[in-house]
Amino acid sequence: MAVRMSAEETKSAMQTVVSEMYDKIVKGEPPTMTLPVRTKNNIGFDRKLGVYKYGKKKSIRDATSLGSAKQLLRALHVIEFIEDMIDSGKSSTLREMYYISESWGLGKFGSQNESNNLAEDLEIVTKCLREDFKLRPEEDGARIIGNLTLQERNRRGEWMRINARDDVGDSGYGVPYNVELEKIEFLEHDINFLMAIETGGMFDRLVENGFDEDYKCGLLHLKGQPARSTRRIIKRMSEEWDLPVVVFLDGDPWSFRIFASIAYGAIKTAHISEYLATPSATYLGITSDDIVAYDLPSDDLSKKDIEALNAELSDPRFADSWWQDQINMMLELNKKAEQQSLAKYGLDFVTDTYLPEKLAELGLA
Amino acid sequence: MSGIAQKLASNQKQVAISEFFEKNKHFLGFDSPVRSLITAVKEAVDNSLDACEEARILPSIKVKVSKIDTKKDIIELVVEDNGPGIPQKSIEKVFGQLLFGSRFHAIRQSRGQQGIGITGVVMYSQLTTGKPTHVKSKIATESTAAVVDIGLDTRKNKATKSNSGREIWLLDDGEMKKHGLEVTTRMKAKYQKGRQSVWQYLRMTSIVNPHAEITFTDPDGETHHWPRVTERLPGKVESIKPHPHGIELGQLQRMLTESTDSRLSVFLRTNFSGVSTRAAKELCSAAELDVKVKPKQMNPDQIRALLESFQGERMFNGKPVKLLNPPTNCLSPIEEMLIKKGLSKTIDSRYAITMTRAPNVSQGNPYQVEVGLIFGGNMAADKPVEVLRFANRVPLMYQQGGCLLTKAIESVDWRQYGLDQAGGKGVPKGPAAILVHLASTNVQFTSEAKEALADNAEVMEEVRKAMLEMGRGLRKHLEKKKKMAKTKEKFELINDILPAIAAKSAQILEKPIPNLAGSITKIMSAVICESTTEWNKETKSVDVAIKIYNYTARSRAYTILATWPEKSGGLMTNNEHGGRKEATGVWAWKLETLQPGENITISYSLQGLEKGDWTETDVFFRGSQEIIGAMKMDEKYLEEIRNQEKIMNELNSSNDIGDEKINDEENVDQTVEAMPESIPEPAIKPPSGQSTLFGGEQ
Repeated sequence: MAVRMSAEETKSAMQTVVSEMYDKIVKGEPPTMTLPVRTKNNIGFDRKLGVYKYGKKKSIRDATSLGSAKQLLRALHVIEFIEDMIDSGKSSTLREMYYISESWGLGKFGSQNESNNLAEDLEIVTKCLREDFKLRPEEDGARIIGNLTLQERNRRGEWMRINARDDVGDSGYGVPYNVELEKIEFLEHDINFLMAIETGGMFDRLVENGFDEDYKCGLLHLKGQPARSTRRIIKRMSEEWDLPVVVFLDGDPWSFRIFASIAYGAIKTAHISEYLATPSATYLGITSDDIVAYDLPSDDLSKKDIEALNAELSDPRFADSWWQDQINMMLELNKKAEQQSLAKYGLDFVTDTYLPEKLAELGLA
Repeated sequence: MSGIAQKLASNQKQVAISEFFEKNKHFLGFDSPVRSLITAVKEAVDNSLDACEEARILPSIKVKVSKIDTKKDIIELVVEDNGPGIPQKSIEKVFGQLLFGSRFHAIRQSRGQQGIGITGVVMYSQLTTGKPTHVKSKIATESTAAVVDIGLDTRKNKATKSNSGREIWLLDDGEMKKHGLEVTTRMKAKYQKGRQSVWQYLRMTSIVNPHAEITFTDPDGETHHWPRVTERLPGKVESIKPHPHGIELGQLQRMLTESTDSRLSVFLRTNFSGVSTRAAKELCSAAELDVKVKPKQMNPDQIRALLESFQGERMFNGKPVKLLNPPTNCLSPIEEMLIKKGLSKTIDSRYAITMTRAPNVSQGNPYQVEVGLIFGGNMAADKPVEVLRFANRVPLMYQQGGCLLTKAIESVDWRQYGLDQAGGKGVPKGPAAILVHLASTNVQFTSEAKEALADNAEVMEEVRKAMLEMGRGLRKHLEKKKKMAKTKEKFELINDILPAIAAKSAQILEKPIPNLAGSITKIMSAVICESTTEWNKETKSVDVAIKIYNYTARSRAYTILATWPEKSGGLMTNNEHGGRKEATGVWAWKLETLQPGENITISYSLQGLEKGDWTETDVFFRGSQEIIGAMKMDEKYLEEIRNQEKIMNELNSSNDIGDEKINDEENVDQTVEAMPESIPEPAIKPPSGQSTLFGGEQ
């Protein structure tokens, strides 16, 4: 697990980035910033950590083009801004930083996307977490329902004990953006496994049918592509409570990617995969087999779907034979199906038949 | 074809005008209510432009179209000019008589007429509304204007006049009109907007007549104004005699029949261009005819033999008779600078290139190609480019696809020049308009509608060459724009961003700001050229500055070349770096070696130009290291310029030869037959058919 950095360590890591630029100018060279290549061609399996990490390929961003030079200047402004926040004990959202950059003159961001990417770049180069940088994401965290108890430090600095079955409404416990030890502690639970669910509709169906109580499990709504804090809390529960994690998604190429980001690490955040990924997570469904086996209502693959599947075939995270079979099968079927297509057989089919059958295969039901 | 006028004349006895008109309305230009209006405007405006040109007056033409009866499609057209006017006694002839007008009798570049000229308009109005055409004319020497209504007696097939009188012609400002003509006529017609409209016709006319001011008031009362952009009138065109290579049997027959010459050799020498005394004899010999044959008495076989010797089918000493080319000073091109001005005032754009090719000769007819291309601005990027076709300054608006000029455009692969073109075929797409103007003494059309030029391999190749050259110009412009954007970025990088990086990093690390020189050289690692071409209001000249920076670690030596408007009368002054002429319109400076970090500025002023005449200077270099912002000299481009120069020179000298004096024994005949050489018009008037835009199939 990644080691969190102190304020001084964070500042010193950033100074190294600044020094690289400064020293290059002194030497009469264009200033540079060295980054790992952030594509699927530069991620590899780390045996020790059990997740996918960036490889050794580096790209040097140097100030020989206007775009790159502006990126370097922005990085300097961001570093200065972070140092100020560390010193004054404040934090800001990425979006706030984007607006603050309005006053950075030539170093201002062109779009919110640019500021997000730069924050990630700095994480990668300094090996710090953006939590160390005092930068918060906008992204929406997950919600959880189930018989598990944790305590969260509220705005007044007091610890609040919350049971995610008894102390919450139908929408469940909302996962905050920071799920680190200083914010959340896990207390106790009476569940056998954690189930992560892609869509709100399916999450609500399982809640309404009382699936969490019947099968003694925690239900977690991913809200599409899961936020960092969502992946992090899954990781912590899996490790600290030693819980099996099953992932229940739509049956399409994009769900495969969501699963990979949960289990193996996302390409964009491969620098902190060991911190976010849960290698023991299992893909429950919808599989390509399910589409045929349950004769699910399905849609034809779009051009983009097919491109995505083909890209996955050469993605090292999907290199094992089970995934290759699933992807190839989907391409052959030329079909994809949603979780909620199970409703073809009635509202209770998913909780009475489909999930029990799938869980039984895993020895969880 | 023998010309509509003749057809009409020969038919006149048997057929009523109305019947003739009905039968031939498609090529008279009155086949639809929409086209009828355009034709009427065309006839009136062409007449005005021709009259002004002949009288050396800068034309101001006002066209007004109003709807009189929408249900019955009755429209009133008023065309007013500031031309010389027509003397009262001639009005009836001009508007009512079919064969009137000097242009029928001379070979020269002329606007020519659609159908049968303004008479056709009078006829059409009479036939569709029963109303005569009202004409008001004032000549400078008279104090009042003549007014008259011209109609046609369809039973007697004769022009009629009524209500003739005189009146004072006052202008809006209360001043008396000095001279001019106003034609008011009512006809069955429809006004329409778009690509084939009165508006488009006038817009196109304005482009190729930059010396004219045209105002158009449409039926909605909206006024469109195309201002005059030059005070220079088109050059006066000279008449020339027909050339044996361009003559056809019918014409030859008529010329011979009407000849009063007593000897064939004299007839040949005095009635054709390009025929010397030697050639006249050789032509007779090739046709196995005696030089003394009386032209009037030649039989059909003899005439055919003569024509065959004209065409080289009958040889002299085993070879076709060598004839001189006709003189080309009979052509009046618009000229590059004026086309550019005409285009620029009409269409908003970022870039304009125009080109006037050297005159050439095809089948005995002198011709000259002019082209223009404008790019950028508000023009639609996803539509086919607008094709603007002209023959002798007359817009061609119909049958675009079947026209030689369009085919020449389509034959170019425009993709390599920066325009879209599906499969490299067809009219290209992009924010551009392409203009093609063919000036010739004999424009060949595909049909009597005279809207599309007939195929001619030589003309086609000439237009195509001009297109390729313009395409290269466009590509250069686009490349330059790209490179300029890149250069601008580099300068922003080293002037703004890099100092900011240095300052910010120094501040964070609490260290001194480092020196940037080394980084700048590494970042630029190039030689860079920045050039500006700007109009200087105070000195009324164009100031050009070309700055070369050496941002490399080595010393560099270059020759810099720049384009300048030499052909258009520009004068280069304040050129402190001297240099030398490389070719027409291309100047060269050999620079001293530039050390790393050094820069040098070449500057000069261009005088004798107006604002907007010269807005972009192309900078080239010769040297091993690439210069960002300048183009490597394309030696092919220089070669093309030199070729054109050569052709121009040759043509000028051959035109001189064409005027050679005849000084052998045949001169005797000449005096006997009292044929003074100084008469510019041929003694025998060739029939209208082959003389002007009427050319084409017989």
